[in-house]
Amino acid sequence: MAKEKPMVKLTNIHKVFGNRNHVLRGIDLSVNKGETVVILGASGSGKSTLLRCVNFLEEPTAGTIEVDGTVIQAGESDKKRSGHILDIRKKTGMCFQSFNLFPHMTALENIIEGPVTVLKQKKSEAVSYAEELLDWVGLTEKRDEYPSCLSGGQQQRVAIARSLAMKPKVMLFDEPTSALDPELVAEVVEVMERLSKEGMTIIAVTHELHFARDVADQVMIMDNGNWVETGPPEEIFNNPKEDRTRKFLAHIL
Amino acid sequence: MNGDTLDPTLSSIPPEAERVLAQNINQQKKYKRKLIISFIVLGILMITTLIVIGLDFKFMAKWLPFILAGGGYTILVSILAISLACILSVIGALGRLSKNPVINSIATAYVSLIRGTPLLVQIYMWYLALPQIGLALEGLGLTGIQSLFTLHAIPAGILALGVCYGAYMTETVRAGIQSIKIGQTEAAKALGMTSGQTMKRVIFPQAMRVIIPPVSNEFIAMVKDSAMVSLMGVWEMTYRAMKVGRRHFQSLEMLVMVAMIYWMMCIVLQYFQEKIEEHMARGDRRM
Repeated sequence: MAKEKPMVKLTNIHKVFGNRNHVLRGIDLSVNKGETVVILGASGSGKSTLLRCVNFLEEPTAGTIEVDGTVIQAGESDKKRSGHILDIRKKTGMCFQSFNLFPHMTALENIIEGPVTVLKQKKSEAVSYAEELLDWVGLTEKRDEYPSCLSGGQQQRVAIARSLAMKPKVMLFDEPTSALDPELVAEVVEVMERLSKEGMTIIAVTHELHFARDVADQVMIMDNGNWVETGPPEEIFNNPKEDRTRKFLAHIL
Repeated sequence: MNGDTLDPTLSSIPPEAERVLAQNINQQKKYKRKLIISFIVLGILMITTLIVIGLDFKFMAKWLPFILAGGGYTILVSILAISLACILSVIGALGRLSKNPVINSIATAYVSLIRGTPLLVQIYMWYLALPQIGLALEGLGLTGIQSLFTLHAIPAGILALGVCYGAYMTETVRAGIQSIKIGQTEAAKALGMTSGQTMKRVIFPQAMRVIIPPVSNEFIAMVKDSAMVSLMGVWEMTYRAMKVGRRHFQSLEMLVMVAMIYWMMCIVLQYFQEKIEEHMARGDRRM
Protein backbone atom coordinates (compact mmCIF):
# COMPACT_ATOMS: atom_id res chain seq x y z
CA MET A 1 0.00 0.00 0.00
CA ALA A 2 2.75 2.42 0.93
CA LYS A 3 4.52 1.87 -2.39
CA GLU A 4 1.40 2.47 -4.44
CA LYS A 5 1.12 5.71 -6.39
CA PRO A 6 -1.38 8.03 -4.71
CA MET A 7 -4.67 8.70 -6.51
CA VAL A 8 -4.57 12.39 -5.63
CA LYS A 9 -1.37 14.22 -4.88
CA LEU A 10 -1.20 17.93 -4.16
CA THR A 11 2.21 19.48 -3.74
CA ASN A 12 2.88 22.89 -2.24
CA ILE A 13 -0.45 24.43 -3.25
CA HIS A 14 -0.77 28.17 -2.85
CA LYS A 15 -3.86 30.20 -3.64
CA VAL A 16 -3.85 33.96 -3.58
CA PHE A 17 -7.17 35.71 -4.25
CA GLY A 18 -7.31 39.19 -5.72
CA ASN A 19 -4.20 41.05 -4.94
CA ARG A 20 -2.71 39.57 -1.83
CA ASN A 21 -5.31 37.48 -0.01
CA HIS A 22 -3.22 34.40 0.73
CA VAL A 23 -5.78 31.65 1.38
CA LEU A 24 -3.78 28.46 0.83
CA ARG A 25 -0.21 28.53 2.07
CA GLY A 26 1.76 25.62 0.72
CA ILE A 27 -0.59 22.68 1.19
CA ASP A 28 0.52 19.09 0.58
CA LEU A 29 -1.98 16.27 0.39
CA SER A 30 -1.70 12.69 -0.71
CA VAL A 31 -4.69 10.38 -0.96
CA ASN A 32 -4.36 6.72 -1.87
CA LYS A 33 -6.85 4.74 -3.92
CA GLY A 34 -9.87 3.78 -1.86
CA GLU A 35 -9.01 6.10 0.99
CA THR A 36 -11.46 8.52 2.60
CA VAL A 37 -10.03 11.80 3.79
CA VAL A 38 -12.05 14.28 5.83
CA ILE A 39 -10.91 17.87 6.03
CA LEU A 40 -12.08 19.81 9.08
CA GLY A 41 -11.54 23.42 9.95
CA ALA A 42 -13.19 26.67 10.90
CA SER A 43 -14.99 28.58 8.17
CA GLY A 44 -12.58 30.72 6.19
CA SER A 45 -9.70 28.37 6.85
CA GLY A 46 -9.45 27.54 3.15
CA LYS A 47 -10.77 23.98 3.06
CA SER A 48 -13.38 24.55 0.35
CA THR A 49 -10.85 26.46 -1.72
CA LEU A 50 -8.44 23.55 -1.47
CA LEU A 51 -11.11 21.10 -2.59
CA ARG A 52 -12.04 23.35 -5.52
CA CYS A 53 -8.40 23.51 -6.55
CA VAL A 54 -8.35 19.74 -7.05
CA ASN A 55 -10.69 19.94 -10.08
CA PHE A 56 -9.63 23.47 -11.08
CA LEU A 57 -12.90 25.19 -10.25
CA GLU A 58 -10.34 27.41 -8.58
CA GLU A 59 -6.97 27.94 -10.26
CA PRO A 60 -4.19 27.38 -7.77
CA THR A 61 -1.65 30.20 -7.87
CA ALA A 62 1.27 27.85 -7.36
CA GLY A 63 1.86 24.14 -6.85
CA THR A 64 1.31 20.83 -8.59
CA ILE A 65 -1.88 18.82 -8.80
CA GLU A 66 -1.92 15.19 -9.79
CA VAL A 67 -5.07 13.10 -10.15
CA ASP A 68 -4.78 9.49 -11.31
CA GLY A 69 -1.63 10.17 -13.30
CA THR A 70 -2.70 13.48 -14.87
CA VAL A 71 -0.34 16.20 -13.68
CA ILE A 72 -0.93 19.93 -13.92
CA GLN A 73 1.49 22.56 -12.76
CA ALA A 74 -0.11 25.81 -11.59
CA GLY A 75 0.66 28.89 -13.63
CA GLU A 76 1.97 26.87 -16.54
CA SER A 77 0.17 27.55 -19.77
CA ASP A 78 0.74 25.16 -22.64
CA LYS A 79 -1.70 23.97 -25.25
CA LYS A 80 -2.49 20.69 -23.53
CA ARG A 81 -3.46 22.36 -20.30
CA SER A 82 -7.20 22.83 -20.87
CA GLY A 83 -7.38 19.24 -22.10
CA HIS A 84 -5.70 18.09 -18.90
CA ILE A 85 -8.11 20.10 -16.80
CA LEU A 86 -11.09 18.46 -18.56
CA ASP A 87 -9.34 15.14 -18.00
CA ILE A 88 -9.08 15.72 -14.27
CA ARG A 89 -12.69 16.88 -14.13
CA LYS A 90 -13.85 13.70 -15.82
CA LYS A 91 -11.95 11.67 -13.24
CA THR A 92 -13.38 13.56 -10.28
CA GLY A 93 -16.97 13.91 -9.20
CA MET A 94 -18.00 16.84 -7.06
CA CYS A 95 -20.92 17.44 -4.74
CA PHE A 96 -21.72 20.96 -3.63
CA GLN A 97 -23.23 22.43 -0.51
CA SER A 98 -26.11 23.85 -2.56
CA PHE A 99 -26.50 20.68 -4.72
CA ASN A 100 -26.50 22.68 -7.97
CA LEU A 101 -28.77 20.26 -9.78
CA PHE A 102 -29.88 21.55 -13.18
CA PRO A 103 -33.41 22.82 -12.44
CA HIS A 104 -34.65 22.48 -16.02
CA MET A 105 -33.94 18.75 -16.08
CA THR A 106 -35.60 15.86 -14.26
CA ALA A 107 -33.60 13.71 -11.84
CA LEU A 108 -32.87 11.21 -14.59
CA GLU A 109 -31.94 13.88 -17.13
CA ASN A 110 -29.57 15.40 -14.59
CA ILE A 111 -27.82 12.07 -14.17
CA ILE A 112 -27.46 11.24 -17.88
CA GLU A 113 -26.35 14.77 -18.83
CA GLY A 114 -22.64 14.15 -18.15
CA PRO A 115 -22.39 10.72 -19.77
CA VAL A 116 -24.32 11.79 -22.89
CA THR A 117 -22.84 15.28 -23.40
CA VAL A 118 -19.29 14.75 -22.15
CA LEU A 119 -18.60 11.04 -22.60
CA LYS A 120 -20.78 10.77 -25.73
CA GLN A 121 -22.47 7.65 -24.40
CA LYS A 122 -25.58 6.33 -26.10
CA LYS A 123 -28.68 7.64 -24.40
CA SER A 124 -30.18 4.20 -23.76
CA GLU A 125 -26.93 3.06 -22.16
CA ALA A 126 -26.75 6.16 -19.98
CA VAL A 127 -30.38 5.77 -18.93
CA SER A 128 -30.00 2.20 -17.79
CA TYR A 129 -26.91 3.06 -15.72
CA ALA A 130 -28.70 6.14 -14.34
CA GLU A 131 -31.57 3.93 -13.24
CA GLU A 132 -29.14 1.66 -11.41
CA LEU A 133 -27.66 4.70 -9.68
CA LEU A 134 -31.08 6.05 -8.74
CA ASP A 135 -31.83 2.69 -7.19
CA TRP A 136 -28.50 2.77 -5.39
CA VAL A 137 -29.30 6.13 -3.78
CA GLY A 138 -32.87 4.96 -3.11
CA LEU A 139 -34.72 7.36 -5.39
CA THR A 140 -36.08 5.14 -8.15
CA GLU A 141 -39.57 6.60 -7.74
CA LYS A 142 -38.26 10.17 -8.21
CA ARG A 143 -36.86 9.37 -11.67
CA ASP A 144 -39.00 11.90 -13.54
CA GLU A 145 -39.31 14.61 -10.89
CA TYR A 146 -37.79 18.04 -11.30
CA PRO A 147 -35.35 19.14 -8.57
CA SER A 148 -37.82 21.73 -7.25
CA CYS A 149 -40.11 18.85 -6.24
CA LEU A 150 -37.42 17.07 -4.22
CA SER A 151 -36.35 17.65 -0.63
CA GLY A 152 -32.82 18.85 0.03
CA GLY A 153 -31.64 15.38 1.02
CA GLN A 154 -33.16 13.88 -2.13
CA GLN A 155 -31.56 16.59 -4.27
CA GLN A 156 -28.16 15.90 -2.79
CA ARG A 157 -28.56 12.16 -3.39
CA VAL A 158 -29.45 12.85 -7.04
CA ALA A 159 -26.38 15.11 -7.22
CA ILE A 160 -24.23 12.25 -5.93
CA ALA A 161 -25.74 9.93 -8.53
CA ARG A 162 -25.07 12.57 -11.21
CA SER A 163 -21.39 12.62 -10.26
CA LEU A 164 -21.17 8.84 -10.08
CA ALA A 165 -22.65 8.50 -13.56
CA MET A 166 -19.30 9.76 -14.89
CA LYS A 167 -17.62 6.76 -13.21
CA PRO A 168 -15.16 9.02 -11.38
CA LYS A 169 -11.98 7.81 -9.71
CA VAL A 170 -12.31 10.35 -6.90
CA MET A 171 -15.30 11.99 -5.24
CA LEU A 172 -15.03 15.47 -3.77
CA PHE A 173 -17.64 16.53 -1.22
CA ASP A 174 -17.84 20.23 -0.40
CA GLU A 175 -19.93 20.45 2.80
CA PRO A 176 -22.63 18.23 1.30
CA THR A 177 -24.89 18.34 4.36
CA SER A 178 -24.47 21.95 5.50
CA ALA A 179 -27.54 23.23 3.66
CA LEU A 180 -29.80 20.41 4.87
CA ASP A 181 -32.42 20.33 7.60
CA PRO A 182 -31.09 18.22 10.48
CA GLU A 183 -33.44 15.30 9.85
CA LEU A 184 -32.28 15.01 6.23
CA VAL A 185 -28.56 14.81 6.97
CA ALA A 186 -28.53 11.11 7.81
CA GLU A 187 -29.78 9.93 4.40
CA VAL A 188 -26.94 11.75 2.63
CA VAL A 189 -24.27 10.64 5.09
CA GLU A 190 -25.50 7.07 4.71
CA VAL A 191 -24.94 7.23 0.95
CA MET A 192 -21.46 8.67 1.47
CA GLU A 193 -20.63 5.86 3.92
CA ARG A 194 -21.70 3.21 1.45
CA LEU A 195 -19.65 4.88 -1.24
CA SER A 196 -16.60 4.81 1.01
CA LYS A 197 -17.15 1.15 1.88
CA GLU A 198 -17.40 0.23 -1.78
CA GLY A 199 -13.88 1.51 -2.26
CA MET A 200 -14.35 5.00 -3.70
CA THR A 201 -11.56 7.48 -3.08
CA ILE A 202 -13.15 10.36 -1.21
CA ILE A 203 -12.04 13.80 -0.11
CA ALA A 204 -14.74 15.44 1.98
CA VAL A 205 -15.01 18.83 3.62
CA THR A 206 -17.71 18.32 6.20
CA HIS A 207 -18.80 19.10 9.72
CA GLU A 208 -20.27 15.61 10.17
CA LEU A 209 -18.07 14.34 12.96
CA HIS A 210 -19.70 10.90 12.92
CA PHE A 211 -18.68 10.51 9.34
CA ALA A 212 -15.15 11.66 10.15
CA ARG A 213 -14.86 9.33 13.13
CA ASP A 214 -16.44 6.20 11.65
CA VAL A 215 -15.55 6.35 7.98
CA ALA A 216 -12.43 8.46 7.44
CA ASP A 217 -9.00 6.93 7.08
CA GLN A 218 -7.37 10.28 7.60
CA VAL A 219 -8.65 13.41 9.30
CA MET A 220 -6.94 16.67 8.48
CA ILE A 221 -7.44 19.84 10.46
CA MET A 222 -6.90 23.07 8.58
CA ASP A 223 -6.34 26.56 9.87
CA ASN A 224 -4.99 29.71 8.23
CA GLY A 225 -4.40 27.99 4.92
CA ASN A 226 -2.33 25.09 6.15
CA TRP A 227 -2.61 21.84 8.09
CA VAL A 228 -2.62 22.04 11.84
CA GLU A 229 -2.65 18.34 12.41
CA THR A 230 -3.33 15.24 10.36
CA GLY A 231 -3.76 11.60 11.25
CA PRO A 232 -6.19 8.74 11.72
CA PRO A 233 -9.48 9.82 13.35
CA GLU A 234 -8.86 7.97 16.66
CA GLU A 235 -5.71 9.95 17.16
CA ILE A 236 -7.14 13.31 16.17
CA PHE A 237 -10.29 12.98 18.24
CA ASN A 238 -8.98 11.15 21.29
CA ASN A 239 -5.47 12.36 21.50
CA PRO A 240 -4.87 15.64 19.68
CA LYS A 241 -1.32 16.91 19.86
CA GLU A 242 -1.85 20.50 18.86
CA ASP A 243 -3.47 23.13 20.98
CA ARG A 244 -5.31 24.58 18.00
CA THR A 245 -6.81 21.16 17.21
CA ARG A 246 -8.08 20.89 20.76
CA LYS A 247 -9.62 24.36 20.62
CA PHE A 248 -11.28 23.65 17.30
CA LEU A 249 -12.69 20.31 18.45
CA ALA A 250 -13.98 21.89 21.65
CA HIS A 251 -15.92 24.33 19.50
CA ILE A 252 -17.65 21.78 17.33
CA LEU A 253 -18.11 18.81 19.66
CA MET B 1 -40.96 19.70 3.59
CA ASN B 2 -42.96 18.05 0.80
CA GLY B 3 -46.61 18.98 0.46
CA ASP B 4 -47.50 15.44 -0.56
CA THR B 5 -46.26 13.96 2.72
CA LEU B 6 -49.25 15.52 4.53
CA ASP B 7 -52.09 13.08 5.02
CA PRO B 8 -55.36 14.71 3.88
CA THR B 9 -57.54 12.22 5.79
CA LEU B 10 -56.08 13.42 9.08
CA SER B 11 -56.97 17.03 8.44
CA SER B 12 -59.93 18.58 10.23
CA ILE B 13 -60.32 22.26 9.51
CA PRO B 14 -62.42 23.92 12.27
CA PRO B 15 -65.67 25.68 11.28
CA GLU B 16 -64.37 29.19 12.04
CA ALA B 17 -61.47 28.55 9.68
CA GLU B 18 -63.89 27.28 7.04
CA ARG B 19 -65.78 30.55 7.34
CA VAL B 20 -62.57 32.54 6.70
CA LEU B 21 -61.73 30.35 3.71
CA ALA B 22 -65.22 30.90 2.26
CA GLN B 23 -64.85 34.64 2.81
CA ASN B 24 -61.51 34.67 0.99
CA ILE B 25 -62.97 32.87 -2.01
CA ASN B 26 -65.95 35.22 -2.00
CA GLN B 27 -63.68 38.26 -2.02
CA GLN B 28 -61.67 36.91 -4.93
CA LYS B 29 -64.88 36.33 -6.90
CA LYS B 30 -66.11 39.84 -6.12
CA TYR B 31 -62.83 41.33 -7.27
CA LYS B 32 -62.98 39.45 -10.56
CA ARG B 33 -66.56 40.54 -11.18
CA LYS B 34 -65.73 44.18 -10.54
CA LEU B 35 -62.68 43.98 -12.75
CA ILE B 36 -64.73 42.67 -15.68
CA ILE B 37 -67.38 45.39 -15.17
CA SER B 38 -64.65 48.06 -15.15
CA PHE B 39 -63.27 46.80 -18.45
CA ILE B 40 -66.73 46.78 -20.03
CA VAL B 41 -67.40 50.35 -18.87
CA LEU B 42 -64.04 51.45 -20.29
CA GLY B 43 -64.91 49.83 -23.62
CA ILE B 44 -68.31 51.51 -23.73
CA LEU B 45 -66.72 54.88 -22.93
CA MET B 46 -64.26 54.48 -25.79
CA ILE B 47 -66.93 53.54 -28.29
CA THR B 48 -69.20 56.41 -27.17
CA THR B 49 -66.33 58.85 -27.60
CA LEU B 50 -65.81 57.61 -31.13
CA ILE B 51 -69.53 58.03 -31.88
CA VAL B 52 -69.76 61.45 -30.22
CA ILE B 53 -66.92 62.89 -32.25
CA GLY B 54 -68.85 61.79 -35.31
CA LEU B 55 -66.59 59.23 -36.95
CA ASP B 56 -67.71 58.03 -40.34
CA PHE B 57 -67.98 54.29 -39.73
CA LYS B 58 -69.19 53.55 -43.23
CA PHE B 59 -66.08 55.16 -44.66
CA MET B 60 -63.97 53.07 -42.29
CA ALA B 61 -65.67 49.83 -43.26
CA LYS B 62 -65.23 50.63 -46.94
CA TRP B 63 -61.48 51.07 -46.66
CA LEU B 64 -60.82 48.31 -44.09
CA PRO B 65 -59.84 45.62 -46.66
CA PHE B 66 -57.45 48.04 -48.38
CA ILE B 67 -55.67 48.88 -45.09
CA LEU B 68 -55.60 45.24 -43.96
CA ALA B 69 -53.90 44.29 -47.23
CA GLY B 70 -50.90 46.24 -45.94
CA GLY B 71 -50.82 44.03 -42.83
CA GLY B 72 -48.84 41.44 -44.74
CA TYR B 73 -45.87 43.82 -44.86
CA THR B 74 -46.18 44.51 -41.16
CA ILE B 75 -46.12 40.81 -40.36
CA LEU B 76 -43.36 40.01 -42.85
CA VAL B 77 -41.10 42.83 -41.68
CA SER B 78 -41.73 42.12 -37.98
CA ILE B 79 -41.10 38.40 -38.16
CA LEU B 80 -37.95 38.64 -40.26
CA ALA B 81 -36.62 41.55 -38.21
CA ILE B 82 -37.24 39.82 -34.86
CA SER B 83 -35.54 36.67 -36.17
CA LEU B 84 -32.52 38.73 -37.16
CA ALA B 85 -32.62 40.52 -33.80
CA CYS B 86 -32.69 37.20 -31.91
CA ILE B 87 -29.64 35.91 -33.76
CA LEU B 88 -27.76 39.20 -33.32
CA SER B 89 -28.66 39.42 -29.64
CA VAL B 90 -27.31 35.95 -28.83
CA ILE B 91 -24.08 36.66 -30.72
CA GLY B 92 -23.95 40.13 -29.15
CA ALA B 93 -24.49 38.81 -25.63
CA LEU B 94 -21.78 36.17 -26.02
CA GLY B 95 -19.54 38.92 -27.38
CA ARG B 96 -20.28 41.20 -24.45
CA LEU B 97 -19.38 38.37 -22.07
CA SER B 98 -16.34 37.31 -24.08
CA LYS B 99 -12.87 37.55 -22.58
CA ASN B 100 -11.45 38.17 -26.06
CA PRO B 101 -10.78 41.95 -26.17
CA VAL B 102 -11.47 42.30 -29.91
CA ILE B 103 -14.80 40.48 -29.82
CA ASN B 104 -15.80 42.21 -26.60
CA SER B 105 -15.06 45.68 -27.95
CA ILE B 106 -16.97 45.05 -31.19
CA ALA B 107 -20.04 43.87 -29.28
CA THR B 108 -19.85 46.76 -26.83
CA ALA B 109 -19.46 49.32 -29.63
CA TYR B 110 -22.43 47.78 -31.50
CA VAL B 111 -24.72 48.10 -28.51
CA SER B 112 -23.52 51.59 -27.66
CA LEU B 113 -23.77 52.99 -31.19
CA ILE B 114 -27.16 51.52 -32.02
CA ARG B 115 -28.76 52.31 -28.68
CA GLY B 116 -27.34 55.78 -28.80
CA THR B 117 -28.91 56.80 -32.12
CA PRO B 118 -32.58 57.20 -33.11
CA LEU B 119 -34.18 54.35 -35.02
CA LEU B 120 -35.48 56.91 -37.48
CA VAL B 121 -31.95 57.98 -38.35
CA GLN B 122 -30.83 54.37 -38.63
CA ILE B 123 -33.62 53.55 -41.07
CA TYR B 124 -32.57 56.41 -43.34
CA MET B 125 -28.94 55.33 -43.00
CA TRP B 126 -29.66 51.83 -44.27
CA TYR B 127 -31.77 53.21 -47.09
CA LEU B 128 -29.88 56.31 -48.14
CA ALA B 129 -26.36 56.29 -46.72
CA LEU B 130 -25.51 52.71 -47.68
CA PRO B 131 -25.68 53.35 -51.46
CA GLN B 132 -23.28 56.24 -50.95
CA ILE B 133 -20.83 53.93 -49.20
CA GLY B 134 -21.22 51.60 -52.14
CA LEU B 135 -20.46 54.45 -54.49
CA ALA B 136 -17.35 55.37 -52.54
CA LEU B 137 -16.16 51.75 -52.60
CA GLU B 138 -16.79 51.63 -56.33
CA GLY B 139 -14.58 54.69 -56.63
CA LEU B 140 -11.85 52.73 -54.86
CA GLY B 141 -11.98 50.12 -57.60
CA LEU B 142 -14.52 47.58 -56.35
CA THR B 143 -16.71 47.60 -59.42
CA GLY B 144 -20.24 46.29 -59.13
CA ILE B 145 -20.41 46.68 -55.37
CA GLN B 146 -22.83 49.56 -55.46
CA SER B 147 -25.79 47.46 -56.47
CA LEU B 148 -25.13 45.25 -53.44
CA PHE B 149 -25.21 48.31 -51.20
CA THR B 150 -28.39 49.71 -52.65
CA LEU B 151 -31.26 48.16 -50.75
CA HIS B 152 -34.94 48.11 -51.49
CA ALA B 153 -37.16 49.61 -48.85
CA ILE B 154 -38.28 46.33 -47.30
CA PRO B 155 -34.85 44.70 -46.86
CA ALA B 156 -33.57 48.04 -45.56
CA GLY B 157 -36.42 48.17 -43.06
CA ILE B 158 -35.85 44.60 -41.91
CA LEU B 159 -32.12 45.26 -41.46
CA ALA B 160 -32.69 48.52 -39.63
CA LEU B 161 -35.26 47.08 -37.24
CA GLY B 162 -33.36 43.82 -36.74
CA VAL B 163 -30.02 45.48 -36.06
CA CYS B 164 -31.60 48.06 -33.77
CA TYR B 165 -33.64 45.63 -31.70
CA GLY B 166 -30.72 43.21 -31.71
CA ALA B 167 -28.71 45.80 -29.79
CA TYR B 168 -31.39 46.28 -27.14
CA MET B 169 -31.96 42.55 -26.88
CA THR B 170 -28.22 41.92 -26.54
CA GLU B 171 -28.43 43.53 -23.14
CA THR B 172 -31.53 41.50 -22.27
CA VAL B 173 -29.87 38.23 -23.24
CA ARG B 174 -26.66 39.16 -21.44
CA ALA B 175 -28.59 39.97 -18.27
CA GLY B 176 -30.48 36.67 -18.62
CA ILE B 177 -27.26 34.70 -18.93
CA GLN B 178 -25.72 36.51 -15.98
CA SER B 179 -28.78 35.88 -13.82
CA ILE B 180 -28.03 32.15 -13.71
CA LYS B 181 -26.23 31.26 -10.49
CA ILE B 182 -22.51 30.53 -10.68
CA GLY B 183 -23.18 27.13 -9.06
CA GLN B 184 -24.78 25.94 -12.29
CA THR B 185 -21.64 26.69 -14.25
CA GLU B 186 -19.52 25.05 -11.60
CA ALA B 187 -21.64 21.90 -11.58
CA ALA B 188 -21.39 21.68 -15.37
CA LYS B 189 -17.63 22.24 -15.31
CA ALA B 190 -17.19 19.67 -12.54
CA LEU B 191 -18.83 17.15 -14.89
CA GLY B 192 -16.13 17.95 -17.44
CA MET B 193 -18.22 20.05 -19.81
CA THR B 194 -16.49 22.60 -22.03
CA SER B 195 -17.61 26.25 -21.90
CA GLY B 196 -19.62 25.75 -25.09
CA GLN B 197 -21.40 22.69 -23.72
CA THR B 198 -22.08 24.50 -20.45
CA MET B 199 -23.61 27.44 -22.26
CA LYS B 200 -25.72 25.32 -24.61
CA ARG B 201 -26.93 22.63 -22.23
CA VAL B 202 -27.09 24.35 -18.85
CA ILE B 203 -26.99 28.14 -18.94
CA PHE B 204 -28.93 29.02 -22.06
CA PRO B 205 -32.01 26.85 -21.44
CA GLN B 206 -32.35 28.42 -18.00
CA ALA B 207 -31.64 31.94 -19.23
CA MET B 208 -34.40 31.54 -21.85
CA ARG B 209 -36.98 31.60 -19.10
CA VAL B 210 -35.71 34.96 -17.92
CA ILE B 211 -35.31 36.29 -21.45
CA ILE B 212 -38.68 35.34 -23.00
CA PRO B 213 -40.91 37.95 -21.31
CA PRO B 214 -38.74 40.99 -22.18
CA VAL B 215 -38.13 39.64 -25.70
CA SER B 216 -41.88 39.27 -26.26
CA ASN B 217 -42.15 42.82 -25.08
CA GLU B 218 -39.57 43.90 -27.67
CA PHE B 219 -41.44 41.98 -30.36
CA ILE B 220 -44.66 43.78 -29.56
CA ALA B 221 -42.83 47.10 -29.70
CA MET B 222 -41.27 46.12 -33.02
CA VAL B 223 -44.62 45.27 -34.64
CA LYS B 224 -45.55 48.89 -34.11
CA ASP B 225 -42.16 50.30 -35.07
CA SER B 226 -42.49 48.42 -38.35
CA ALA B 227 -44.81 51.30 -39.28
CA MET B 228 -41.61 53.30 -39.81
CA VAL B 229 -40.87 51.43 -43.05
CA SER B 230 -43.72 53.54 -44.45
CA LEU B 231 -41.16 56.37 -44.37
CA MET B 232 -39.45 54.67 -47.28
CA GLY B 233 -42.68 54.44 -49.22
CA VAL B 234 -43.64 50.86 -48.49
CA TRP B 235 -47.38 50.35 -48.81
CA GLU B 236 -47.85 48.93 -45.34
CA MET B 237 -50.81 49.69 -43.10
CA THR B 238 -49.81 53.08 -41.75
CA TYR B 239 -48.79 54.34 -45.19
CA ARG B 240 -52.08 53.23 -46.70
CA ALA B 241 -54.08 54.78 -43.87
CA MET B 242 -52.29 58.11 -44.26
CA LYS B 243 -52.74 58.12 -48.05
CA VAL B 244 -56.45 57.35 -47.92
CA GLY B 245 -57.07 59.69 -44.99
CA ARG B 246 -55.39 62.65 -46.65
CA ARG B 247 -57.05 62.19 -49.98
CA HIS B 248 -60.56 62.11 -48.44
CA PHE B 249 -59.86 64.53 -45.60
CA GLN B 250 -60.81 61.82 -43.14
CA SER B 251 -57.45 61.16 -41.54
CA LEU B 252 -58.90 60.63 -38.08
CA GLU B 253 -61.04 57.69 -39.20
CA MET B 254 -58.07 56.04 -40.85
CA LEU B 255 -55.78 56.64 -37.89
CA VAL B 256 -58.29 55.22 -35.42
CA MET B 257 -58.73 52.19 -37.60
CA VAL B 258 -55.06 51.49 -38.11
CA ALA B 259 -54.47 51.96 -34.36
CA MET B 260 -57.17 49.38 -33.63
CA ILE B 261 -55.62 46.90 -36.05
CA TYR B 262 -52.20 47.22 -34.39
CA TRP B 263 -53.83 46.83 -31.01
CA MET B 264 -55.59 43.61 -32.05
CA MET B 265 -52.34 42.21 -33.43
CA CYS B 266 -50.58 42.94 -30.15
CA ILE B 267 -53.34 41.34 -28.10
CA VAL B 268 -52.87 38.16 -30.13
CA LEU B 269 -49.10 38.32 -29.56
CA GLN B 270 -49.62 38.84 -25.84
CA TYR B 271 -51.74 35.70 -25.73
CA PHE B 272 -48.94 33.67 -27.29
CA GLN B 273 -46.43 35.23 -24.92
CA GLU B 274 -48.46 33.98 -21.96
CA LYS B 275 -48.65 30.49 -23.48
CA ILE B 276 -44.89 30.35 -24.03
CA GLU B 277 -44.20 31.55 -20.51
CA GLU B 278 -46.48 28.86 -19.09
CA HIS B 279 -44.57 26.27 -21.08
CA MET B 280 -41.19 27.57 -19.93
CA ALA B 281 -42.25 27.52 -16.29
CA ARG B 282 -42.16 23.73 -16.14
CA GLY B 283 -39.60 22.50 -13.63
CA ASP B 284 -40.37 25.61 -11.68
CA ARG B 285 -43.25 24.11 -9.74
CA ARG B 286 -42.82 24.79 -6.06
CA MET B 287 -43.96 22.32 -3.48
